[in-house]
Amino acid sequence: MSNSKRRNFQIEAFKHRVVVDPKYSEKTWKILEHAIHEIYNHNASGLSFEELYRNAYNMVLHKFGEKLYSGLVTTMTLHLKELSKSIEAAQGGFFLEEMNRKWADHNKALQMIRDILMYMDRTFIPSTHKTPVHELGLNLWRDNIIHSSKIQARLLNTLLELVHRERTGEVINRGLMRNVIKMLMDLGSSVYQEDFEKHFLEVSANFYSVESQQFIECCDCGDYLKKAERRLNEEMERVSHYLDAKSEAKITNVVEKEMIANHMQRLVHMENSGLVNMLVDDKYEDLGRMYSLFRRVHNGLSTIRDVMTSHIRETGKHLVTDPERLKDPVDFVQQLLDEKDKHDKIISLAFNNDKTFQNALNSSFEYFINLNPRSPEFISLFVDDKLRKGLKGVSEEDVEIVLDKVMMLFRYLQEKDVFEKYYKQHLAKRLLSGKTTSDDAERSLIVKLKTECGYQFTSKLEGMFTDMKTSQDTMQGFYASQASETGDSPTLAVQVLTTGSWPTQSSAPCNLPAEILGVCEKFRTYYLGTHTGRRLSWQTNMGTADLKGTFGNGQKHELNVSTYQMCILMLFNNADRLCYKEIEQATEIPPSDLKRCLQSLACVKGKNVLRKEPMSKDIGEDDAFFFNDKFASKFYKVKIGTVVAQKESEPEKQETRQRVEEDRKPQIEAAIVRIMKSRRMLDHNNIVSEVTKLLQPRFLANPVVIKKRIESLIEREFLERDNVDRKMYKYLA
Amino acid sequence: MGIQRDRVRFNVGGKIFETSATTLANAGRDSMFGSMLDENWNLQSRETDEYFIDRNPACFSVLLDLLRTGELHIPAKIPEKLIYREALYYGLLDNVRTAKWGQFDGNRLTLAGSITGQAPGDGTAIRAGPLGGCCVAHGSMVHVYDWMLEEHSPIYLDYQRINDVGWIDSENIVVSACERLGRGDGGMGLFSSSTGDLRYKFQVSHENQVKSFTAGAMSFSSDYRIFASCKGRSNEYGIGVWDQVTGKQSDFFYESPDWSLGDADRLQWLQNSNCLLVATLFPRKDNCYISLLDFRVKRMVWSWSDIGAPITVHEKRVRDAIAMEETNSICLVNEYEDLGFMDLRRTGGGVKWSSRRRLMKGKMPDEPCYPKLALHGGQLFSSMNDSISVFCGSDWVLTSRLRRSYGGSICDFSIGGDRLFALHSEENVFDIWETPPPPLI
Repeated sequence: MSNSKRRNFQIEAFKHRVVVDPKYSEKTWKILEHAIHEIYNHNASGLSFEELYRNAYNMVLHKFGEKLYSGLVTTMTLHLKELSKSIEAAQGGFFLEEMNRKWADHNKALQMIRDILMYMDRTFIPSTHKTPVHELGLNLWRDNIIHSSKIQARLLNTLLELVHRERTGEVINRGLMRNVIKMLMDLGSSVYQEDFEKHFLEVSANFYSVESQQFIECCDCGDYLKKAERRLNEEMERVSHYLDAKSEAKITNVVEKEMIANHMQRLVHMENSGLVNMLVDDKYEDLGRMYSLFRRVHNGLSTIRDVMTSHIRETGKHLVTDPERLKDPVDFVQQLLDEKDKHDKIISLAFNNDKTFQNALNSSFEYFINLNPRSPEFISLFVDDKLRKGLKGVSEEDVEIVLDKVMMLFRYLQEKDVFEKYYKQHLAKRLLSGKTTSDDAERSLIVKLKTECGYQFTSKLEGMFTDMKTSQDTMQGFYASQASETGDSPTLAVQVLTTGSWPTQSSAPCNLPAEILGVCEKFRTYYLGTHTGRRLSWQTNMGTADLKGTFGNGQKHELNVSTYQMCILMLFNNADRLCYKEIEQATEIPPSDLKRCLQSLACVKGKNVLRKEPMSKDIGEDDAFFFNDKFASKFYKVKIGTVVAQKESEPEKQETRQRVEEDRKPQIEAAIVRIMKSRRMLDHNNIVSEVTKLLQPRFLANPVVIKKRIESLIEREFLERDNVDRKMYKYLA
Repeated sequence: MGIQRDRVRFNVGGKIFETSATTLANAGRDSMFGSMLDENWNLQSRETDEYFIDRNPACFSVLLDLLRTGELHIPAKIPEKLIYREALYYGLLDNVRTAKWGQFDGNRLTLAGSITGQAPGDGTAIRAGPLGGCCVAHGSMVHVYDWMLEEHSPIYLDYQRINDVGWIDSENIVVSACERLGRGDGGMGLFSSSTGDLRYKFQVSHENQVKSFTAGAMSFSSDYRIFASCKGRSNEYGIGVWDQVTGKQSDFFYESPDWSLGDADRLQWLQNSNCLLVATLFPRKDNCYISLLDFRVKRMVWSWSDIGAPITVHEKRVRDAIAMEETNSICLVNEYEDLGFMDLRRTGGGVKWSSRRRLMKGKMPDEPCYPKLALHGGQLFSSMNDSISVFCGSDWVLTSRLRRSYGGSICDFSIGGDRLFALHSEENVFDIWETPPPPLI
């Protein structure tokens, strides 16, 4: 009751609210809806853009945005369902074409719809967080066409079928394919990935898994790689023609995995055509292909590298341990160089100069060269051979190339000091016998050694060159001072060698013939007169002499012999027959050398200026020797070499080895002291490792030797053991 | 596909305009003219030879002139708002905005307008948006203005006191607010700038438990992270980090007992050095703490504090700090607007103060405001009382001063979208400073 009363008193607010024609929104929407129909029906030419734009604007302005938007969704969905039917109805090959055509239509319609609804797109949609018109059109296409049950599977199968047909060599319509794939990408990357790419990759994996199995059964490695490479290129080309660029990495991954990674071991080790055969036969192209394919997969290159390394090590080991090859050091080293050249070429031509491959090659060489303890000697002999004769008529650049190659081998050596020993010996021989063909080449090599190993390494070698030069000057001075007295006494050429620089085997001098002795004395007086405080001792074991002799029938010859041989032959000026003992007594030449000299004088055919009884190859202590007046030679000058082993004999080798070991002792000690001086206190293992590291450039120090040296240093009170921890050494200043 | 003629004839509300398709092309494809001239729609108009547009011809004339010259000249008799509305209809709002003011230059600023708000109390902060709009925090409310300086729906977070606001992009604003103990109110929220709707509320977890917190100063990095100083229970002080895309907390840098992070007044993300500058200043704390945090190594990589510094007669307390990555230094300002500089490359260096007090003129106002600093395009800005000073060059020479007599001291200012906004403390007023378009010749 009171309620009704109160209502009676209520005063109505005074308002003139403008009410829009209730049918206004309905009418306006009808116009727009009609326009959308016309657009989809390709009948837009009769539409007025301005009117439609204004109507859409008015709907939004008058708060009918929601109605406009939902009307758009409904109308567009309706049309898409129709499009969907016509696509479904397309037969066989026309399916994709129909889809492509309808997609183009829809896109055009969507653009026009967006044009008239632009005001809604700009104002109503952001403020209500709705999907913008263009995106809405794509979403509706996706939901009503692409994801329609009758189309989804058919589309996927059609696409995959086309790809398969192209893989098996058919020509397909790539343009159409590109358009359809682009449609999937336009609908969002997830549509492309889920509705196509995922399946595409799966099918591809199956395809290549089967195909690679077939190939590997019937092809050799080279052919297989060619096929794999072609497939890879085809897939990349496919991506560039009609797939999303982001798919390239994925599909190549599939091919790499199925065609390469899964068969890597089998390919590399394939019988008669695998990696080792390729290396042996220098198949640069195949190797290059293998490299570029394998580098794409995980562990691919390391697989190649490992096989290559073990192959090089194997062949190298065979090379350096084959007793046949050890007979000729020059050939031995040449083989090593050839092997290195071969693999260098492979790495540069086929393996892209890959640093890791170069390292593998180097470490392999280092490994097998040091398997043979005589490698340092052989390399030095190789150099000796080259510098003696091998470089005649060779241009300067070529000499450099040979020397560089030798240096490369030298770098692989662990026992560089052994090489130095031999090199010194060989150099000394070359210098003293005047056999070196090129002073420049000699010096160039010295410079190389110096840059490689430092000043210390070559100072003595350089000293040898200096001695040679000084000796020349000395001899000139000597003859200038003796000019009046020389008369017809023998000509003397002395090389004054600094003790220590040269590898002298200290041997007692033999008894020189009186004629020579006189000149020698004169020289000694001259030399000591110009240089005070020096001592000269004769190294008769290293000299040479030229003798003129008259044989039967008055035939005259000049004999080129060693100093020892000269001493022996001079004895025969006074006697026609001498037995071994007599010669030994008269000359005091060490027995081994004497035997060698006699052998070369009496047993070499064509150069036998002496005759021996009994006639045999070897020299016995009871043999007797005669002047051979029947000696004949068609040459005036006859060079009588000493029978001398070019390679070292076993005892000599032992001796060299021993000398090397002996020389290492002070170096090891110096290294220990240097380290301890800076560290003050260090345990045994660390000393050993540091010493080894410090000496690495020269040789590989033996831990046992290091231990002995430490002990010796403790004895001499350079070091002491720690009282608490016996493993620790302390440096005593 | 009709033959495209260059001449176009419009009948706008009965008045005939003639222009060229080339001129209309300046409107861009995303405008009414762009659509209209698209070949899809071009077929029909030939019969009448003109396009009819049912709009205001006076405004059309202004906008057509804009398309012709790129300049905007609004006759005095037409309200600006009318032009904006018409521009929105034609899809030309962006063209209008770019023509309205020029590229920002601190030395060429002119006062473009002042807006008086309706909120009570002192202003807290003002922040320029990327497109020329701004938002103003007053107490527990944030008022949002677009570039046309039209106010949108205000933003509030449980009506808690706002500490800081910031624009993530032109559509999104983040607000940090005080918490209400035990109620889970306050904290940090992401809002739509156009509608004021709360879109997301950020959370802080300590030891896998969601805790309520008070969020203070904020900074955003270009790799979509949000940093904020946070205070919770006694051991929950520090800097929180969230992902802008997922909204999830991604990190928390706890403050150490002898340092201050959770109370920080200013955070600044340093793009080049990949560090966050955190400054806690007087009077929030008795001492100043400035540090650089490297979140990759979870370490404070640079720090400075005035703890133990001798207090002189002319006490120099740091009131604001800003890092300048180009010169590897931090600029400080004290209450007398003296600038100080520190080297960012080494820890433990002192402050080099440059006294400029003799340049100060006029008496101190009744209600002084703390100086604030800003850096923009190689120019340094510092607010003091009722004016803003502009410094340029490697020695930071004072080159300009912005001042207007109304509104009292400036409590905050912000530069963005080629505009400078200054918020006054006494009256609820903020000023908009713009660089005019470049001269004709």
